[in-house]
Amino acid sequence: MTDSTHPLPNDIPQVQMQGWGHYLRFSTDHKVIGVQYLFTTFLFFLMAGLLAMIIRAELLTPASNVVDRPFYNGLFTLHGTMMIFLWVIPSLVGLANYLVPLMIGADDMAFPRLNAIAFWILPPAGLLLVSSFFLPHGSAQAGWWSYPPISLQLPSGQPINGEVFWIVSLFLIGVSSIMGGVNFITTIVWMRAPGMTFFRLPIFVWTVLSAQLLQLFCLPALTGALILLFFDLALGTHFFDPLENGDPIIYQHLFWFYSHPAVYVMALPAFGIFSEIIPAFSRSPLFGYRSVALASFGIAVVSVTVWVHHMFASATPGWMRLLFMASSMLVAVFTGIKVFAWTATVWKSKLHLETPMLFALAGVVMFVFAGITGVMLAAVPFDLHVNNTYFVVGHFHYVVYNTITMAIFAAIYYWFPKITGHLYSEGWGKLHFWLTLVGANLAFFPMHPLGLQGMVRRISSYPPEYQSWNVVASLGGFLLGVSVLPFIANIIVSWMSGLPAPRNPWHATGLEWATTSPPPEKNFDETPVVRRPPYDYGDPKVTVTEGQNS
Amino acid sequence: MITVLEYILLAALIAVDLMVSRWIGIQAYGWMPVEATQEAQRVDDLFSFLVAVGAFIFLGIVGVIAYSVVFFRAAPTDYTEGHPGRGNWKVEVLWTAVPTLLVLWIAFQSANIYGQLNILGLTPIVERLNPLESPAYAREPSPNPAAGPKPAPPPQPEAQPTVVVAKQWEWSFRYPNGVTSRELHLPVNATTPLLLKSQDVIHGFYVPAFRAKQDMFPDRDITFAVTPTQVGQYRLQDSQFSGEYFALMLAPVVVEEEAAYGQWLEKIAQNPPDLPRLVAEEQAHPPRRLFDSGWRRGDAIAAAADEDAIALRDQASPP
Amino acid sequence: MRHIPLDERPIRYDRWIDRLPRWLQRFLPKGGGTAKDHHGKGMFGVTVFLLSESVVFLSLIFAYSALKATTADWLPAGVKGPEVSTFVVINTVVLLSSSAVIQLAERAIKKERLTRFRLLWSLTVLMGSYFLVGQAIEWSQAEFGLRTSIGSSAFYVLTGFHGLHVLVGVLLQLTMLGRSLIPHNYDDGHFGINATTLFWHFVDALWVVLFTIIYVW
Repeated sequence: MTDSTHPLPNDIPQVQMQGWGHYLRFSTDHKVIGVQYLFTTFLFFLMAGLLAMIIRAELLTPASNVVDRPFYNGLFTLHGTMMIFLWVIPSLVGLANYLVPLMIGADDMAFPRLNAIAFWILPPAGLLLVSSFFLPHGSAQAGWWSYPPISLQLPSGQPINGEVFWIVSLFLIGVSSIMGGVNFITTIVWMRAPGMTFFRLPIFVWTVLSAQLLQLFCLPALTGALILLFFDLALGTHFFDPLENGDPIIYQHLFWFYSHPAVYVMALPAFGIFSEIIPAFSRSPLFGYRSVALASFGIAVVSVTVWVHHMFASATPGWMRLLFMASSMLVAVFTGIKVFAWTATVWKSKLHLETPMLFALAGVVMFVFAGITGVMLAAVPFDLHVNNTYFVVGHFHYVVYNTITMAIFAAIYYWFPKITGHLYSEGWGKLHFWLTLVGANLAFFPMHPLGLQGMVRRISSYPPEYQSWNVVASLGGFLLGVSVLPFIANIIVSWMSGLPAPRNPWHATGLEWATTSPPPEKNFDETPVVRRPPYDYGDPKVTVTEGQNS
Repeated sequence: MITVLEYILLAALIAVDLMVSRWIGIQAYGWMPVEATQEAQRVDDLFSFLVAVGAFIFLGIVGVIAYSVVFFRAAPTDYTEGHPGRGNWKVEVLWTAVPTLLVLWIAFQSANIYGQLNILGLTPIVERLNPLESPAYAREPSPNPAAGPKPAPPPQPEAQPTVVVAKQWEWSFRYPNGVTSRELHLPVNATTPLLLKSQDVIHGFYVPAFRAKQDMFPDRDITFAVTPTQVGQYRLQDSQFSGEYFALMLAPVVVEEEAAYGQWLEKIAQNPPDLPRLVAEEQAHPPRRLFDSGWRRGDAIAAAADEDAIALRDQASPP
Repeated sequence: MRHIPLDERPIRYDRWIDRLPRWLQRFLPKGGGTAKDHHGKGMFGVTVFLLSESVVFLSLIFAYSALKATTADWLPAGVKGPEVSTFVVINTVVLLSSSAVIQLAERAIKKERLTRFRLLWSLTVLMGSYFLVGQAIEWSQAEFGLRTSIGSSAFYVLTGFHGLHVLVGVLLQLTMLGRSLIPHNYDDGHFGINATTLFWHFVDALWVVLFTIIYVW
């Protein structure tokens, strides 16, 4: 057996021209499923982005003059639901699907067929949600939180309505996520190659492990809430109806018990992506590997205890407000460990600023901003002012777009040669980066001053004094729409006719770079044996040959 | 090895960062709307403090990254080692412990200011869940003179509350003398207790100039209090999404002198003013829009709610 | 240039696993490269799934308890709520003792006593079905409907969701019974039987919790 932590010199394999057909069929190969996830979720990303641009068009002017109000409510409800449950979470699942078995030296996921089933639930569930736009009374219109009683009131007595579609769709996505979670945990615990101990796992695997643990133990709370909401909506019970002795606060608790950790289900793998890319392009080991790995778990554990900070303005007693303020702020300590580690990795290194690194560094910087506004929001007195205003919307978009979506783009560029066997075009990638960076900040920064001034979220018309910042945000939003065009062009053209990629175009460590690009069906020709710590960057001459310096 | 010169340089940079972030923190007051209550001043003090701390951290981290991006670049084909540092437990303990202390300090500051907010609220729900729970919020303003720049206003005699009723999609206010209006008038420099009631779904009581926000639940009366300190006209906005005409759920808030407030109460008792009804106007004259989905059904909800409203308003008398 | 020693330490992971009780060891991998242990992998996955599933129950139980603690009209006056009756107790005893029976059946298959396994396994199916029929009788005899009040709705949702799990368990058991007739079915081990047994214990344990909060509280 060879030591495969360090790839052999960059031999260019024969690139077999595989057809596109196998991406459209039921396949149990984790690599095919990973690409299927990425492709499907990107389509939903485009759709949800389109909804966002209609929202921004409406908000160009103070009056409600682009779409009617119920339609606007449907727009932001489905924009939020789709972006979270059909883009950010599943696209990261797609990346993890592709990468985790490769990174731990396994030939596939633990349960390949379950993996395929989990994926194939997603397209019908998503289409169900989108199709609710064509119902006579429209899609769900209660926001992505779907708080009762407003979510129970909207469907106007029809047994088939947008809200039912929303519940069923989310339930199905939840089932798919649980299947994925079981699979990831089992894969990471059982399928590691010989010598791949926990403290030799790449950080991306650590973050997937902690994110999927959160999915497994928090998402069922949302499932429970959805079951009860469905009973209220379709079968006439009154669990959440305050006028009939029910209690809407219980829904809020159950909803946020999942939906706050859901943010870390999204953010943790993004942190993992940063932790892969930044050392590779700094040519330095990740500073403080162990503390970064454990901080992932710290974030996961603490994030289960902070959900009430979404309900500070709700019926939350004072002691609860202060308790959850303190726990929410502790999240900053663990994310801080990661940010400091990335900064120390970059310091005095040899930086290569290719597209993945640009996306990663910009993502880290904007994440620092989002983290600071996050700590502000945890402070109860300030939150009572900006809760449910655009300040929260701005903070949230700095997390999910300017951090996590930047990380997803970084990851797609970084592993594109591995996935496709072709090199992408660096120039188009940089154009995509700059358009995204400018667009994202133009679109989401103005939301902070708007929120401070008291502009409430989810309104389709607003007092005229808020207009100037809204125009900036809308222009940024349209620019973001334009920014994906070079990305799409780059991906299609490079996949079809890009230069063939070597095994390890970035001279990175990690098992995924030790196999061919794209990897063979069972990933490795022989099971790799791991003998070195991760992120073992250094002089290639020293590290590549085994045993020379031991 | 860090030389003395580098230490001095580091200290100078930290000093610059401190000064710049302090300046940004002072600017932060200007990003907020008018301060019309003492609570607003406290919240703005907290916000300024948070912005200053945040700016210090942001500038520090981004400064290091930016410096690295500019000065620590590799030649395109140079794939040799950047630096060999795998970690340093002293540094790692430091950057875990210092942020922990920092957030605890921030949490302490926030809790301190929270204790100074005189906005009542929530007692009925709390008592329902746990009769032993002391009323949240119901703390007197801190007697500590160092805590706030201004002394608390003299205690007011326990006044009758003004009832705030939210329904889809209109606010109405019932004053202690029994009159009802669709505009909220408040006497300046007096604590007005409010009884927040909702008739249908969850609404949110939010006046940006007061920095006060509280969700309102159907069938649960919530006591709240505001103490405006500045005469003027402000805006009440529903802050919890409440359906089709959510954006139009606005009401004017007028803070005026005690005498003017009394005169106004007397005046509207005799002839109630005819204030514009935003929702009815939009329903009567729908604006021209590029796209109409035809999903509208708020009319039916509003009609049903109006029938209930008459019954509920009779019950909505203060305790 | 930096000296990077090869990290040749043995994987210490095994040592603490050896100290764990046997039944727990079944769910944890030993050392790296255990990818070929399909049975262990499968049981680990089932355990993780059941832990996750228990959180759905936990959230429903939370909603039930919070509503019961705060709602004024849990059940309308004069309506008899769910109570501990002989009928319910017998039903409960049957379900809980079926856990012991299925355990004996699992032991029988481990000793390759196929006839004994089929007998005990069929007995479990009967006991599970008895519980389901008893639950249906209780539902039909209840003085309250799904929409009578919050308390009645919560009763039906909680017992119904549990009953659904019992039904799935019985269907799984029937599948395993059918598969036991296939020759050479157990050449690759008894994963299906072990997983069904674990699921059945899970369903029974949940009933203890639900019984306590529904009938005793």
